[in-house]
Amino acid sequence: MTEKAVEETFVALFALTDLRQIFRDAKPTYQFNSEQKKQIREIIEKLRKSLNVIEKELIK
Amino acid sequence: MKQMIEDIEVRAREELFININPIQAAGRLTPEAMKAIIAYGDGYSTCDWCKKPFRLDKIRRPPINEFHLELAKFVGMDQARVFPGARRGFQAVVSSLVEKGDSVIVSSLAHYTEFLAVEDAGGIVKEIPLNKENVITEENTAQKIEKVKRETGKLPKLIMMDHFDYMLGNEHNINGIAKVAKYYDIPFLANCAYSMGVMPINGREMGADFLVGSGHKSFASPAPSGILATTAEWADKVFRTTQMVGDVTGRKFGIKEVEMMGCTLMGANLIAMMASFPRVRERVKHWDDEVKKSNYFIDEFLKIEGNKVLSEMPRKHTLTKVDTTGSFDKIARTHKRRGFFFSDELKKRRIVGEFQGATRQWKLNTYGLTWDQVKYLAQTLHDIAKKYGINVA
Repeated sequence: MTEKAVEETFVALFALTDLRQIFRDAKPTYQFNSEQKKQIREIIEKLRKSLNVIEKELIK
Repeated sequence: MKQMIEDIEVRAREELFININPIQAAGRLTPEAMKAIIAYGDGYSTCDWCKKPFRLDKIRRPPINEFHLELAKFVGMDQARVFPGARRGFQAVVSSLVEKGDSVIVSSLAHYTEFLAVEDAGGIVKEIPLNKENVITEENTAQKIEKVKRETGKLPKLIMMDHFDYMLGNEHNINGIAKVAKYYDIPFLANCAYSMGVMPINGREMGADFLVGSGHKSFASPAPSGILATTAEWADKVFRTTQMVGDVTGRKFGIKEVEMMGCTLMGANLIAMMASFPRVRERVKHWDDEVKKSNYFIDEFLKIEGNKVLSEMPRKHTLTKVDTTGSFDKIARTHKRRGFFFSDELKKRRIVGEFQGATRQWKLNTYGLTWDQVKYLAQTLHDIAKKYGINVA
C-alpha cells in the first residue's frame, strides 16, 4: 500500500468526473465534436495509466 | 440506472437528460465542484488546518479566508459570509434588525423563506403590490412605506426585495427601490438568489446594504449553500460576535459570530462552492448569451399555436413562466394520461424537469444549456405539438 496508489485513485476519479461533464455537455444526442473526442481519448488514457499504477502498487 | 447503495439510486439525470427544472439550472455543479465533493465529503473535512482564532472564515488551508475576501469583492461589498442557503442569510439580517411587531417590506413575489425569516423574528410582513407588468416599482415601494407609516406610526425596519423573482423570473427595479429605501433611511436587502452567480452583481452600485445569494440556485454549488454580503457599516451588527459568558465555567467564545451560529457552511458544500468560483466568475461575463438563448427558445415556443408567456418580455432571465392552456392542455383534457402525456412525450425525447402532469402554467429554465441543447429543446416542443395536431408557425 503506497501513497502513490491513493493519489492515482483520485486522479482516476477526477478523470471520470471530467468524462461526466462531457456527457452533460453532449446530452441528449451525444454527437461528440472533435474536441470532445480528443478529451475522451485523453481521459481514457489517464484512467489506464492510473489503473496500471494502482494494480502495480497493490496487487503485483 | 443502477442503485448506488441499497435503495438510493444513482442520480444521472444531468448526464442523461436535458433538465429544464426552473430551480435546478444554475446550481448544477461544475466538474471542479464534483471533484471537491469526492475529496472533501467527510464531515469536518474543512477543519484539518483550523488554527486560532478557530473560525471557518479564518481558515487558510484550504484558502477559505481568501475565498471570503474574494467573494465580497466579487459582489461589490465589504464583507461576505457563506450560509446554508439564502434563507439563512435572510434570517441573519432579519434577526439582527427586526424586533417583535416591527414591519418588514417585501415583494408580492417574495420567496416564502423571507416570510419565515420575518415570522421567526416576531416581525410582520408587508407586501408591495405588483404593477400591471408584474414588476415591483419604486413608486409602489414608496406608497407602501407611507401606508405602513400611517397604519403603524413607525417606518418599516427593513426592505427585502428580489432582484429577479422566483415566480416569473422578472427583473425588479432594484436600484430604484434601493434609492427609495435610502430616502426613508430604511436598511435594504437585495435578494439575488436568481442573479448572483449567473450575472454581474455589484451591491455597492445597487445601493444595497445587504446582498443575499444562493449557492444551490445560482452558484454551481450543492445544497444547502448561500451567501450574505454587506457593507462595513452593517458588518459589525450582522456579523457581531458573542458576548455570552457561562455563569458556572466562565467560558466565552468571543470570536464566534452569533448569527452564523459559529461556523456556518462547513465541509464539502463550502469547498465545492470555492471550487466552482473561478468558473462562476467567468460565466457571469456571458450572461448576455444566456439571455439570448432564453429569448431564442421563447420565440420558438411562441410559434406553437395557443402558447403564451406569463413572464415579462423580452426575457431578461433564463427562468420563464409559460402558459400552455391553449395548446398542450387541450390535448391533456382528452388524453388517457391527462397532463402526464406531455411529460411522457418530453421524457421519451430525453427532456425532464417540467412540473410533471402540468399542462397549463409551468416554469422552465434554459440556463447553462448549449445552443445545440436549446435548439433541440425548441424542436422537441414543435415535434410534440405537430404530433398532436397543434399548429406550429
